[in-house]
Amino acid sequence: MSEASLFVEAPPEAGTKSSRGFLLRTLRHQPAAMAGALFLVSMTVTAILAPWIAPYPLHEQVGPVFGPPSWQHLLGLDDGGIDMVTLLIWGLRTSLVVGFAATFVSMVIGGTVGVVAGYFGGGIDTVLMRITDYFLVIPDVPLMIVVAAIWGPSLFHIIIVIGILLWTSTARVLRAQVKSVRERVYVKRARALGAGHTRIVVRHVLPQVAPLLIASTVLTIAVAIFDETALSFLGLGDPSNISLGRIIENAFERAAISTGAWWAIVPPGVLVAMLILACSLVGGSLEDALNPRLRVAHLSARTFRLRPLVGRGEDAL
Amino acid sequence: MSEPLLQVEDLQVWFDLEGGGELHAVQGVNISLERGERLGLVGESGCGKTTTALAIMGLLPPNASVSGRVLLEGDDILAGGEEAMRPHRWVDVAIVFQGAMNALNPVRTIGHQIVEALELHNRGKGATARARTGELLEAVGIPAGRAARYPHELSGGMRQRAAIAMALACNPKVLIADEPTTALDVMVQAQILELLDGLCQDFGLALILVTHDLPVVAQLCNRCAVMYAGEIVERGPLEAIYHTPGHPYSRMLFAASPDLAGLDEPVLSIAGAPPRLDRPIDGCPFRPRCDSAFGACAVRPRLEQLAEDHAAACHLNSRVPA
Amino acid sequence: MRGTDYVLKRVGFAIVTVFVAVTINFVLFRLAPGTAVSNLSRVPHATQQLRHALEVQFGLDKSKWQQYVIYLKQLAHGNLGISYENEQPVSTNLRIALINTLPMVTLGTVFAIVFGTFTGVIAAWRRGTKTEGLTVSSALGFYAMPTQWLGLMLIIIFAGVLPTGGMTNEFLLNPPFWTHVKDLASHILLPALTLGLVLYGEYTLIVRSAMLETLGEDYILTARAKGLKPRTIVRKHALRNAMLPITTLIALSLGYIVAGAILIETVFSWPGIGRAVYEAVLQRDYPMLEGAFLVLTFSVIFFNLVADLLYFKLDPRITE
Repeated sequence: MSEASLFVEAPPEAGTKSSRGFLLRTLRHQPAAMAGALFLVSMTVTAILAPWIAPYPLHEQVGPVFGPPSWQHLLGLDDGGIDMVTLLIWGLRTSLVVGFAATFVSMVIGGTVGVVAGYFGGGIDTVLMRITDYFLVIPDVPLMIVVAAIWGPSLFHIIIVIGILLWTSTARVLRAQVKSVRERVYVKRARALGAGHTRIVVRHVLPQVAPLLIASTVLTIAVAIFDETALSFLGLGDPSNISLGRIIENAFERAAISTGAWWAIVPPGVLVAMLILACSLVGGSLEDALNPRLRVAHLSARTFRLRPLVGRGEDAL
Repeated sequence: MSEPLLQVEDLQVWFDLEGGGELHAVQGVNISLERGERLGLVGESGCGKTTTALAIMGLLPPNASVSGRVLLEGDDILAGGEEAMRPHRWVDVAIVFQGAMNALNPVRTIGHQIVEALELHNRGKGATARARTGELLEAVGIPAGRAARYPHELSGGMRQRAAIAMALACNPKVLIADEPTTALDVMVQAQILELLDGLCQDFGLALILVTHDLPVVAQLCNRCAVMYAGEIVERGPLEAIYHTPGHPYSRMLFAASPDLAGLDEPVLSIAGAPPRLDRPIDGCPFRPRCDSAFGACAVRPRLEQLAEDHAAACHLNSRVPA
Repeated sequence: MRGTDYVLKRVGFAIVTVFVAVTINFVLFRLAPGTAVSNLSRVPHATQQLRHALEVQFGLDKSKWQQYVIYLKQLAHGNLGISYENEQPVSTNLRIALINTLPMVTLGTVFAIVFGTFTGVIAAWRRGTKTEGLTVSSALGFYAMPTQWLGLMLIIIFAGVLPTGGMTNEFLLNPPFWTHVKDLASHILLPALTLGLVLYGEYTLIVRSAMLETLGEDYILTARAKGLKPRTIVRKHALRNAMLPITTLIALSLGYIVAGAILIETVFSWPGIGRAVYEAVLQRDYPMLEGAFLVLTFSVIFFNLVADLLYFKLDPRITE
């Protein structure tokens, strides 16, 4: 019937959505994600402080080959008699460096592609999305293997290779978000007022997509770490920088299993798994919080509850 | 006469909020519906009218808690929770949702979905059910052959008709229509309203019409209940409320509606916003927006009889003239 | 016929993608710096005749553009060159490897789909309860584990109970049929289980997410209002609709399965296409590497197409 609003729109919830505030608020509501975030932060700090906290030298043999765990060496020694805890700390450092750097590369590419495609739309959008589609179809790990094999295993190459393949999901997700932001009233108004594209993107679009970008970044870090682990296992890791993946590979190569030296294999894998888990929890909860379509289920095992009658006195019927 | 067909007594609904706390969405609603009667449940979005309608059928989500009674022909159907409610759904009370909603399953034909209702409640199987489906569709103005179509192949108006046909499949006694014409264009809205009018008459259905749109209520209902901040602030015959409103909110509502007020009147809008329902409300919930608030409004008013069938919750009605 | 256009479009897209993949392959292997790569005829220990034959076949003395055209023609004939390592045609090696990989990967994937769907539905159904928390945690746990590491863990656990390497027991000479089958079965279990567990984690999360989304849709409320029992609603309305996004996401995960197969086959010395890639890298057997990469890419494109067509069949809304 009448389009005119009978009721003035209720003002939006007080408190604008600043990215940092949003991040902390979301995490506070999800203890698992909070734990994940703390874990990541503490691991990063450990990695940064590696040269100072590693208990033993990295390249010196300090005991027998595959020495079992003891009070001096809590996680035992590896196939070269090197302390496992030291190895893990340094390996963590390399793995995180690769993870962060590769993610940075993929964020830059994915972010640019996503924002440009979403903002300009039309032909540019179609072309960019086609390119994204092709990249999506090519299997990541085989391509990484091939490129690493051809270019040679160095940290730089690995970072670039991983980064070049992981940008697609970020691009897609950002593009969708940018498209919806572009339709918002204040953006249209800014355009009508003659604001340049760069200005609009920087001042209006980017702040809105920043939380989603962060969520995507964290999730990509998980995949980057996984990919690095896989590449190292296949012998394509950087030989001069020990990473968690290489620790696993070394143990595998030197028959740690048949020797019964579980301490050489289990801890590095557990550490990688926990890193990936932490990233998934944090990124996942951020994504969930940003998902506008998340609603209450109409159906589940739990049903609505009944409360005893609350008497408010008889109301005249 | 015997007891009313449907009686809702002191219905309260709370929703658990993420991060603790509760939203008190329905704060003590009482409704009485006779056979064949048509009641309009009116209010702005967020006032609790849809929640009330859903609660009557027990269609609340898992994070809801309810108290109160829903008496269908004398029996409290709410007392047993979801399990006890289920046998009454569709055969006693049926519902039609907003047209814009995805209320029909997109991957099944509309015929299939109507047959599903018929077979579930033993109104026919196989060919019998399909024949009955055809009849129902014709009754709402859809050619029976369209039963093989998917919801997305029908226009908004047709989909709404199909939903109505499905709702009537098991001859319910009460039909709840939640914003049935919102998001449809004007011509179609009129058709749907006419359809509802005719069907309710032909099948002797009682109707609860939930809407924010007063002209719609005026067309279909004779009685009306105005809701604000989770409670009914005025109830009675539509004429009575229009001519002698017992609550400032109703008065402003009716004044603001262009069709009822006449085209020459300026369209008023009510400034401000309804109160938050996650905290207890101090005094009359309408006080911040009311143009006639005074001292007594610091105490929450209760529904009081103004005339035989007319009640309102406002201190103005009991103010002794100076 | 409904949506012939759509089908043609998707098939067309798949063909174009194959083309792009083939071209990328060519660029990577023939044009990359380093002459060791670009010469397919550099088979070690090969006779002069073989070398010459290869040079002619692949036109290695002609211009890059002509090489590209010849490369395409040879591909069409299934000629991928000669492996440096065993001097057999790459295509033959790959065919054998593929036949070895398929049963193992299929077993693992089926396991993961069956259990993942089951668990995912339960997790969504029991939203907000401890069951959901437990299932999600375990799924996340399996999802986060590096594939090769999980394989190693399983080896540690099952050492002595199940064989931990290879596809068959080499010491069994000409075994009777059933012994052979049992032998194969015991060898396939651990690698398939590894793949199954990692995928199970991912699929549980996908199914749960899709089901939660579906269970929030309006038509579920309608179904409930009609008086349908919850189990019926989940089966006939929710699951049916959730199958749409689930199918797509499972198909997209197939690229991962390929990667996982490489890691698993390396750990378990399974003579499949994954290990072929690994060994080709180790031995710098470029023709094999090139061929294997192509096969893997083709399979991903193929399964993506299958997923597209499945989706089309399941969703009546697609009519363009």
